[in-house]
Amino acid sequence: MGWSSQQSARLHLEMDVLSRYFPTFFLKDSIIPGHAIIEGTLRSNAGNEYLVRLHVPADLPNSVPIIEIVSPVLRDRFGHSLVDLGTSYPMHLLKPENGVVRICHYSASHWSPNITFSKVLLKIRAWIEAYEGHLDSGYAIDHYLPHMEA
Amino acid sequence: MTPLVYVFEEQARDLLSQTGDVRLVDGVAYGFDDWTVFHAYTEKPYFTPSGFICPCVAIRSDAAGFVDEEKLMAEVRRRVDPDGRPIVVLVTGTGAGGSPSCRALILTENGIAGADTRFVPRRSELFTRNTGLLETSALAEKKVVIVGLGSGGSPIALELARAGIGHFTLIDFDRLELGNISRHVCGVNDLGRYKTLAVRDQLLQKNPFAEVSTMEVNVNQSLSQVEDAVAASDLLIVASDNDQSRFNLNQMSLNNNKVALYGRAITRAAGGDVLRVRPWKGPCYNCIFSSGLIDGREEEMSQKRQALAVLPAYVEEDKINTMIQVGLSSDIAPIANMMTKMALVELSRGIETGMSTVDEDLASDFYVWANRREEAYANWPRMGFKWTHPSILRWYGARVDRDPNCLVCGGHLEQEPTT
Repeated sequence: MGWSSQQSARLHLEMDVLSRYFPTFFLKDSIIPGHAIIEGTLRSNAGNEYLVRLHVPADLPNSVPIIEIVSPVLRDRFGHSLVDLGTSYPMHLLKPENGVVRICHYSASHWSPNITFSKVLLKIRAWIEAYEGHLDSGYAIDHYLPHMEA
Repeated sequence: MTPLVYVFEEQARDLLSQTGDVRLVDGVAYGFDDWTVFHAYTEKPYFTPSGFICPCVAIRSDAAGFVDEEKLMAEVRRRVDPDGRPIVVLVTGTGAGGSPSCRALILTENGIAGADTRFVPRRSELFTRNTGLLETSALAEKKVVIVGLGSGGSPIALELARAGIGHFTLIDFDRLELGNISRHVCGVNDLGRYKTLAVRDQLLQKNPFAEVSTMEVNVNQSLSQVEDAVAASDLLIVASDNDQSRFNLNQMSLNNNKVALYGRAITRAAGGDVLRVRPWKGPCYNCIFSSGLIDGREEEMSQKRQALAVLPAYVEEDKINTMIQVGLSSDIAPIANMMTKMALVELSRGIETGMSTVDEDLASDFYVWANRREEAYANWPRMGFKWTHPSILRWYGARVDRDPNCLVCGGHLEQEPTT
């Protein structure tokens, strides 16, 4: 079974918004809900590029999308791979899958269908700046991005 | 005391309607109170019975109503090994006016004793006391889907069965654990069972003629299966414990134009709220969620599984454990009761019943209840004797309109479904 008509309309809306604010992002479509991904590049203030992958949830828009940083391979200031950190509160990381870092952005308790992918990518953009701040200062990402109240 | 035997009238009718030379039929009985009360079945009961099991044999009397008791008892003794327990013998026949009759005998090592026999009546007679307030014959045809059979959903299911609702689909993947018992309609003899199946048995105790189907699935992982059930229903009742399932069910309610009722308790069940979603006519669940009305009214966390589902994986065990703060069953009861009344109003819509005036009163789609002056209600004044200020233990309806900017039911979709 493919996307419902409501989900198709929502995907169309999401891509419309992304085309305005994050034009490098495109939909690698799949008719199977839960298997579609959206990929694109985010550029930090320092000019570094990050390939970001968003997994469109099968129950779009009712659950939190998974966000991965596909490239470059992310390391902390001390040279350790962020993947090896696993789930990390100070670095806002969820359990990695397939060797790729997953960013904790919205928790399920803060999610609502009114949150668009564009808002999610804004948070990822902030995470990237915090990550580069960590590389410069050694402070954990949590220093720059306080957690939402659980 | 003369033993008392209850027999399902419809089973007796079925036995009498069997063609051919039906002699003895093996059934089963359950005894209580030192074998003074029995529930006898000519067929396997379709819900889990209680009591101590003992053999039961049923026989049809001949056309003249005659049974040779001595010969019958000898035959029963040859056929059944009672292992020290009594044997319930039912002699069924056709009484005056063609209605079934049934006589019961209790066969023990000490001999034969006659018993008083009572029929568990047919559907039409089970809800005679509801007549007038509810149109029970119409409600028997109604189909309700209930998602979440915990401390909120299970009493709603039971009350609707008591009111004569005839068709239920119960959806939950949880099993009954010791920690649930004090707030649940089921007891320790149901420990370990799926809540759906345990509640189904409770419903059938109240309405043996209800049709109850169950789905032991996670709503968020079985979307199409659950949506099929919603599409076939008259009303959706959501008593689940997470927003993702409520968002998904909200979409299903809108897709299929089915009225949905949502209820939840806040932390330690200091209070709660109930929402009625009339698809495309009033606010949807997302409209309310995004309206700010429930901000600061965090949902009650009653078990670890529930907390783990909404918290990031790095939240520490101690933090999770401190979030699990449950209220009392009596704190949940008003919320479940309100949902039951709203359900009966919705299911009685279009039928002339005593619920019509309640419908007139329930003008709001969103209601708030406070059990205690704590959490979100900490600043409320004491109840005292005034009616003019907010108080615990009263329902308050809030005027909430549909949000035109809601990304679920607002204007972004080209058209609303017409189903």
